[in-house]
Amino acid sequence: MSQPNYKLIYFNARGRAEHIRFIFAYAGIEYQDERIPREKWPELKKRMPFGIVPVLEIDGRRVDQSNAIARYLANKYGLAGKDEWEAMQCDALVDALGDLKQVLWQLRTEQDPIKKEERKAKLMRETIPYYLSKFEKIVSENNGLSVGSGITWCDFVFAVSLENFEAIFGKSSLDYYPAMKSLKNRIYALPSIAEWVARRPHTES
Amino acid sequence: MAPVYKLTYFPVKALAEPTRFLLKYGGLEFEDERFEREQWPQIKPTMPFGQVPVLSAKGKQYHQSIAMARFFAKQVKLVGSDEWEDLEIDSMVDTVNDLRQKIAVYSYEQDAAIKESRKGPLMNETLPYYLERLDKIAKENNGHLACGKLTWADFYFVALLDYLNYMTESDLTAKYENLEAVKNNVLSIPAIKEWVETRPKSDL
Repeated sequence: MSQPNYKLIYFNARGRAEHIRFIFAYAGIEYQDERIPREKWPELKKRMPFGIVPVLEIDGRRVDQSNAIARYLANKYGLAGKDEWEAMQCDALVDALGDLKQVLWQLRTEQDPIKKEERKAKLMRETIPYYLSKFEKIVSENNGLSVGSGITWCDFVFAVSLENFEAIFGKSSLDYYPAMKSLKNRIYALPSIAEWVARRPHTES
Repeated sequence: MAPVYKLTYFPVKALAEPTRFLLKYGGLEFEDERFEREQWPQIKPTMPFGQVPVLSAKGKQYHQSIAMARFFAKQVKLVGSDEWEDLEIDSMVDTVNDLRQKIAVYSYEQDAAIKESRKGPLMNETLPYYLERLDKIAKENNGHLACGKLTWADFYFVALLDYLNYMTESDLTAKYENLEAVKNNVLSIPAIKEWVETRPKSDL
């Protein structure tokens, strides 16, 4: 059966596309990794379904929403857990991480300097530890992965986010969360992932 | 023996309503647990991530409203016929969710001056941007949001509508005939019509 022609359209960044690139690498699927230069974005934005990227073009047809794309590939290439219950657990963890990222986004976009400091303090003192300790417990209980039966797309979402976390807060920032640190290291040590990480464009974010 | 489901939420429609629609459509029995707002501080620490809705089943707690909606959509056969269709459905659900979040940033803003400053861009730019595109998709899909047929993407959007309308103090689909068609296609389903008539009443 011939494989679809995949083109992943995003900026020259890891951002919201990297977990999709990880899935392609792990599953050994060829795709076009199109990276839009920032100057071209205003024009290309008009041609995206909802003015956002990443967009996956499959045989010429465009779809957006990074997690919808990731889930589609995960279902196709055996990375969505062993049954619907595990699939739901993957979805729930990815969405919970998404909730945390929303709080981070609110910090980044806060204009008022005093409120920004307040948001930052709350994030560091409460929100991040709250979420990380819950993820830590779940991953510990699931043999070091997001769900017990094996590697899923949720593990790639976590690994990418944890790489960003270490980049922001330092190499030792995950020391308090050994299961999360192990998960990240385990994913990055997979041969297909290590090979991708070595040859991918080096970008700030 | 089929598992017993309990859905726990505030006494409102909002984020639990898509799952309630799906359960009712499939004739699946469930306990529709609604706690009083004053009880929330005691209940919150018992929830997996301190949020609701939470689904209790098989002696475990499951969280995240979209994850549970997708799970039930599979049970009641409102998913796509292949992964390609599921991708289209997921993309639309996440798009509606993006819209909900943008509305919520305005609606839940405590500072009156900041809230006022967000209203213009929301009403004049964001809402038309999304509603026009959604309406176009609904037209291309015969009064549905994906795959040219009834899927849980339609359920998600329609079940959330009262909440979105409440937050924007408007009737979002009134001026978009294809989105009105999506709404009517769901609300006219007998099981949904009956649920809407008999469900507990709430503003949002």
